[in-house]
Amino acid sequence: MTFDLALALHSLPVLMHGLIVTIALAACVLVLGMMISIPMALARTSRHKPIAWAAAAYVLFFRGTPAMILLFFVYFGFGQVFGARDGFLGALFSNAFLCAVIGFALNHSSYVTEIVRGGLQSVPRGLVEAAAALGIEPRDVFLRIRLPLAIRYGLKAYQNDVILLTKATAVVSIITVVDLTGAANAVFYDTYDPFTPLLTAAVFYWVLINAIRVGLSRLDAWLNVHLAADERRDLAIQIRTEGLAPALPAGQLGEAAE
Amino acid sequence: MSVVANEIADERPIAVQIQGVDKWFGSFQALRQIDLDVHKGEKIVICGPSGSGKSTLIRCINRLERHDRGTVVVNGIELSDSARAILDVRREVGMVFQQFNLFPHLTILENCMLAPRLALSLSRAKAEALAMRYLARVHVAEQASKYPAQLSGGQQQRVAVARALCMEPRIMLFDEPTSSLDPELIKEVLEVMEELAADGMTMICVTHEMGFARRVADRCAFMDQGQIVEIAAAKPFFEAPRSPRLRAFLAQILH
Repeated sequence: MTFDLALALHSLPVLMHGLIVTIALAACVLVLGMMISIPMALARTSRHKPIAWAAAAYVLFFRGTPAMILLFFVYFGFGQVFGARDGFLGALFSNAFLCAVIGFALNHSSYVTEIVRGGLQSVPRGLVEAAAALGIEPRDVFLRIRLPLAIRYGLKAYQNDVILLTKATAVVSIITVVDLTGAANAVFYDTYDPFTPLLTAAVFYWVLINAIRVGLSRLDAWLNVHLAADERRDLAIQIRTEGLAPALPAGQLGEAAE
Repeated sequence: MSVVANEIADERPIAVQIQGVDKWFGSFQALRQIDLDVHKGEKIVICGPSGSGKSTLIRCINRLERHDRGTVVVNGIELSDSARAILDVRREVGMVFQQFNLFPHLTILENCMLAPRLALSLSRAKAEALAMRYLARVHVAEQASKYPAQLSGGQQQRVAVARALCMEPRIMLFDEPTSSLDPELIKEVLEVMEELAADGMTMICVTHEMGFARRVADRCAFMDQGQIVEIAAAKPFFEAPRSPRLRAFLAQILH
């Protein structure tokens, strides 16, 4: 078993196409997941018991179900369960990519719901009371204090879930979506060389995962600048208060003003 | 049980009227039949052993706690479950907490601008001018662009005072504002509170700073087991306490 460089180069366009499908799939799931998770986390902590129980049941069910089975169920089962062979729902459930987004989002959002809930519950009570005592309305207290802090508390756990999700999308070819793994497999079937395309795909995954990791770490550092070491924090404060313009010598600044 | 009270005729209008207030936490009764009228411009210090209901009482004034019986009327607005009434009261009443409770992800300036921007819908420029004015008033204007974690406890607490003042409240509540400060930082916070008192602010302070109480308070109230046991002008309160429990309390803390 040897690595065939010529084959690797030759299969780059196919793999690149697969990579784009993987990225598009993960991105759609992340957006849909966030849209589900924040309301679901609020429902989970609701004072109204039936709402809290319904959200808890959602998390219990979808967190305990393998993504692969959800994919099968959404792609092959939903159409029959809901009798949706025609019309809008029929079109929706016969599109493998959309089914994959829904299947993964159900699974992923159940994890993220718990991250958001944990983050919201970690916000010190005193901060919420201080905001309320200032006469800020509950909706604004949530949007300006609770949620921004919860995001900061939950970001590291969320980073793990984003990475796990991105890699978990590799099973999506079982419902006919040709993602990065699917593309690599196709090359394998054509050439009988399993090693070269799969190793090349692995490198693609590695680069993608680390790009995500670096991106989220930067986001984390930017959001948590108030906790940073003094030097970096001072720079951030300066940028925030004086704008991004580089410090120019006085003469140049004067000319620019004229 | 009758409250030992040394009533002084006070012609000023009533800012906070508390009548027959009871409050339970589960089966524990935190407040028992509290009656207290606070007049406009008056400074009241509430003291008492921990667990006596001091904090609960002032938290009922801005509805951080819901009272179970009786009435609380603040500047003519009666507190009920009405969200509108609660917001209206909170916009009249500023509060400073033992733990400062500055928003850690916002700068000092942003901490002070948040409520005026959201609750009073002020423009950015107006809110900033307002914030800078009150930050200057509590002597921390030069820290405006820093984050709370970069300030000392005393500075943070002064920012908390400024943040509350930015809503231009007519009444200020202080819930043990110096209890989590190092001794050398207590003074700077008390000085700011005394300046505020000198400007005529209506103030209700839960504190163990008896020197502050003597200098500033019009009346002092002593609470124990959810009741106001004794309430009197500062001088008789300290020099001629009438109830044995207050005498015992003062003997313990004035050493």
